[in-house]
Order: sequence, then C-alpha cells, then structure tokens
Amino acid sequence: MARMTATSHGAPRKVGLREADTALERVLVLLSRYREASIAVVALVLVVYFQLGNGAFLSSQELSVVLRDTGRYGMIAVAEVMLMITGEIDLSVGSTFSLAPYIMVLLSISFGAPLAISAPTGILVGVMVGVINGIITVRFRVPSLITTVGTFFLLQGVVVSIYNSQPIVDPVQEPFNEIFGENLFGPADPIWSWHGLTAFTPFLWTVLAVLVMQVVLNRTTFGLHTIATGSNIIGAREIGVRTDRIKVYNFMIAGGLAAAAGIVNTTQFASADPLAGGPFLTLQAIAAAVIGGTSLLGGSGTVIGALLGAFVVATLNNGLVMMGAQATVSDIYLGAAIVLAMILNVQVDRMRARRRV
Amino acid sequence: MNQKDIPAISPDAPVILEMIGISKTFGAVTALVDATIRLRKGEVLALVGDNGAGKSTLIKILSGFHHPDSGRIVYQGREVRFGSPRDARAQGIETVYQDLALINDLSVYHNMFVGREYHKRILGLKLLDNKKMRDLARTYLDTLGIEVPSVDSLVELLSGGQRQSVAVARSIYSSPTILVLDEPLAALGVREGAHVLGLIQNLRRQRDVSIILIVHNYNQVFEVCDRINFLHSGEVVLDASTTETSEEELIRIVKSGLGRQAIAAAAAEVAARTGS
Repeated sequence: MARMTATSHGAPRKVGLREADTALERVLVLLSRYREASIAVVALVLVVYFQLGNGAFLSSQELSVVLRDTGRYGMIAVAEVMLMITGEIDLSVGSTFSLAPYIMVLLSISFGAPLAISAPTGILVGVMVGVINGIITVRFRVPSLITTVGTFFLLQGVVVSIYNSQPIVDPVQEPFNEIFGENLFGPADPIWSWHGLTAFTPFLWTVLAVLVMQVVLNRTTFGLHTIATGSNIIGAREIGVRTDRIKVYNFMIAGGLAAAAGIVNTTQFASADPLAGGPFLTLQAIAAAVIGGTSLLGGSGTVIGALLGAFVVATLNNGLVMMGAQATVSDIYLGAAIVLAMILNVQVDRMRARRRV
Repeated sequence: MNQKDIPAISPDAPVILEMIGISKTFGAVTALVDATIRLRKGEVLALVGDNGAGKSTLIKILSGFHHPDSGRIVYQGREVRFGSPRDARAQGIETVYQDLALINDLSVYHNMFVGREYHKRILGLKLLDNKKMRDLARTYLDTLGIEVPSVDSLVELLSGGQRQSVAVARSIYSSPTILVLDEPLAALGVREGAHVLGLIQNLRRQRDVSIILIVHNYNQVFEVCDRINFLHSGEVVLDASTTETSEEELIRIVKSGLGRQAIAAAAAEVAARTGS
C-alpha cells in the first residue's frame, strides 16, 4: 500500500504508511487485518485444550450443548455488533429474549393461535421494543446505555407480572417445534439424520442470521450507512446519511433477533420462562461481540467475529464445568477474556490510527 | 494558474442562486441577520469574514443542514426549501465541509459513493456494486490527477491533502450546479493547497459550476474568485468584484475598526466608488 518516492540520494523512501517496527507492532498489524482469524485461533486452542483435558468435549452430545449455547449468545451478539458499529448498545435484549416467547406461548394457549402465527407476533413485539429503544435514544437524545437499562427493567417487570412469573409449557406443535429448536437427538440416533440435525438447530439458525447480517453489513447500502453512522456521525449526516433512521433500524434488528433467539430457546426447553433471559444473557452476548473483535467505539465490527466470540464464551462455560470446575470459576476466565479482548481491540485501533503519517 | 488565464465572468451570466434576507439564531446566539447573497452561473464567490461572522451557518443553510428562521432561497428561478442535506444534494448542491465529512472506517471508493451508491441485483437482492464503484473512483481520481495509495485504502490512512482532494473529488463527481467549499485549503501544505486550488481553477475556467468558497487567505481569494462577500456579525457588509477591489483594500476594511458601523462605512465607500 505504501507509495514509493525517490529521495535526493536516489534511494527509495516509503511515504504514506509507516512500517511496523517492533515485533509487537507487527502482531497488532496482523491482528487488525485478520481479526476473525485471530479469534478463530483462540477458539481452536480452547477446543484442543478441553479435548485433551477431558476427551469428551468433541462428542456429539457435548458439542450439541456447546453449539446450542453458541447459537443463543451468537444470535444476540450479532445484533449487538450492528448496534455497536453505529455507536449504540442494547442492554434490554435479555428481557426481550424472555418477553417474546412468553407472548408467543400465551397467544397460542389463550387464543389457540398456531405457533406459526404467534411466533412472528412475538418477533414483531421484539422489533417494536427496538423501535421504542431507538426513538428514545435518537429523538430524546438519551444515551442508549441508559435507555436500554430502563427498558430492560421495564420489560422484565412486564413479563414477570403477566402471569405471576410462572413458566408456561410450550404447546406441542410439529413440525414447528422440531424446526425451531426442539432437540430430538437421542443416544440411538445417528448424527447424520433429521434427529441428529435437531441437536444443532439453534446453532444453525444463528449461522443463518450471521450469514445474512454479514451480507447486510458488507454488501448493502444499509450496512455502508451503518458503518458511516458510527464512524463519523456528523460527516455522515452532512453527506445525506439518515443516521437516526439507521440507528432505529439497527435497534429493530436487535429486538427482532433477541426475540427470535428467545423463541428458539423456548421450543428447545418446551417452556416459556419469564426469567429465561435476564441481565446475564445480555452481558454474555456483549462479551461475545467484544471477544469477537468489535470495539465499543463505533465504526467497525465483525459479525463473523461475534459468532466466534459466542463459541469462545460457550466453550469456556461448558468446557470448564466439564473438567470439574465450579460454574462460578468459568466466570473468572470469561471476565479475564473480556478484559484482555478489550485491551487488544483498543490497542489494535490505536495502532491503526498511529500508522497514519 | 493565473487570474489572467481566465476571462472575467460574462455580465449576462444568469443568477442561479439568491439567498434573500436570511436570519438564524441558535438559542441566545445570533448567527445571521438579514443576510443576502447572489450567485451567478459559473461564478466563484468568496465568503470572507472573521470567525463567527456567519459564513459556515450560511452555507449550512444552503446545504440543508440548518434551516433559516426567516428569509428565502431562490434556486434556478424558483423558491426552494431544503429539508435535509440529502434534499440539497439531490438538487445539485454539493458541499465540502470543513470537517470533510469523510468516513474514516470506509475505503476511498466507498467514501466517493456514500449516499449515491451503485447497486446490482443478485438473486433479486439489491447489493452494492463494489467493482463498479471501485473502477469509477479509480478512473475519476486519475482524471483529476489525485494520487492516493489505493482506492481500497481506508481514508483514515490518507494524508491531509489526499483527504481534502478526495472530498473535493467526491463533491464534483456528480456535476453539481453549485459547489460549496468550506475552507478547502485550511490545514494543507503549500504543494497540496496548490493542487486543490488548481482543481478549483479548472472548474472556474469551464464556467459551468457555480462555486461558493469560504477562505481566510485573501491572497487565495484574489487568485481564484470572481466576487467577494464580506460578512460581519451575521450581515453581508460588502459585495464587490475582485477586479474592482484589491487585497490591500480588503485588509484596510477589516482593520478599519471592530464596530459594525466602521466596516459598513468602509464597505459603502468601496461600493460608491465601484458603483456596484
């Protein structure tokens, strides 16, 4: 990329980009160029470590558990990445995750609506939550961190008070349930079968969401404007990007994906639990996005990284427990991983800025 | 790039834009008071004045970023109201802001086309035609003689002059009717500044696009502009052709006193003498 010019001595001198000097800088440059690859390496190392330590990590049963968790965190993490690129964040996703399937199941039980109709209604509720979060943030200029803490508690309160915080059993309606998360995989089933496939459906739906968002972010005008909004909001407005709309749309995507993840989770456990999501899920999804290489500063982010980050979070949680650690111990590693990832992200960003001469 | 290279603008050139009696306040701050400017086709108009004189507010009203409290804008013979920068851009008014409005996290070619992207349909989906935008950007920058490391580089990695050039190139790409440049030469080195001035001179020679230029350096005003409007405390206090006044005279007006009356009096003196 560096342009070459001749000095008076005739020796070529590089202008434009300064070359990386130290080994550390070189590593940071590589990381900035291949963010997804570096987190993929971390994921691989973890898998190898847990497989060597326990031997059962790569069994289909255990992988099913890890990938189901990956799916749950990943679907929300992808949405957070889009919002974080615009410079916003949504902490209410943990409540939307509980609310949407609760409404879905209530509609089906109270009014006999088929799940195929009540599920889109639930997703619509999630999208509406996004509209509310977005409008409060852009119209009333409340920082989204605060807006969504508010809507998090508000919606959590709503979902708990609808039915005295009782979990409701998800009605048995096939093939809806087995397509959207119910696990039919038994010890007798071969992995390459419909039943084997259902062991991984939450993960596969998330992969689909990731692929769609990857195209949306990198190949559409909306994606371009999302990056522009987070990178330079005033400049983006000056050249005609409707930054407020872009933000609201991304809040809607976040609400919709959180609702979808909640619905998949409900069909998996055959029960709509008002406390299924909660603050911990929100934070795990944000952790996945951050570990995946998205900084909170806006302007850049990677949805593939979010999926890899979700896999790392799920692997840490399950792998450590599998090796006999207390569930709480895995939080120590998760916490350390978030801090390390964030330090790395910020350093990579600074590195990129410093290379401007 | 000499003033003499370029013949004076024809007195018959039609008026393309009038901003009449524009006033604007921001809370307690009065930015513009009954300001009026007139721009003819192909003309290069300099807006000069101290910081806070209202120059930037005036052009941000023209570009749809701010809305005037009162006053009218007559553009191409009819009264218009620009609701947003997108509106103004769609009607042929391109603005290069002082902050350049470049998106650091996007490539040069994406920056060239943000807000007017090219698309192609794949499986019925409207996706960005990146190849087309990349090729068009490369060809266009080459035509203008603008050097960048690569059209794929993030603009974050460009030098100040390269960034400025890309911003100017972006704004003239769509063949605008009016081009507004807010201090295009600030923060540029001598060589880089000369290149951007050259771009403006080329446009001026063709007398096709009308240009409003905010500049601080009077030397440059006389090099590239046909007419000068001097703003003071939100008012246009002097409207003179660059052939009728001189750099020294302009500096004398500025130094004549800090009061509005003093400047207005000096401006009236010039106006009386030139008969404009």
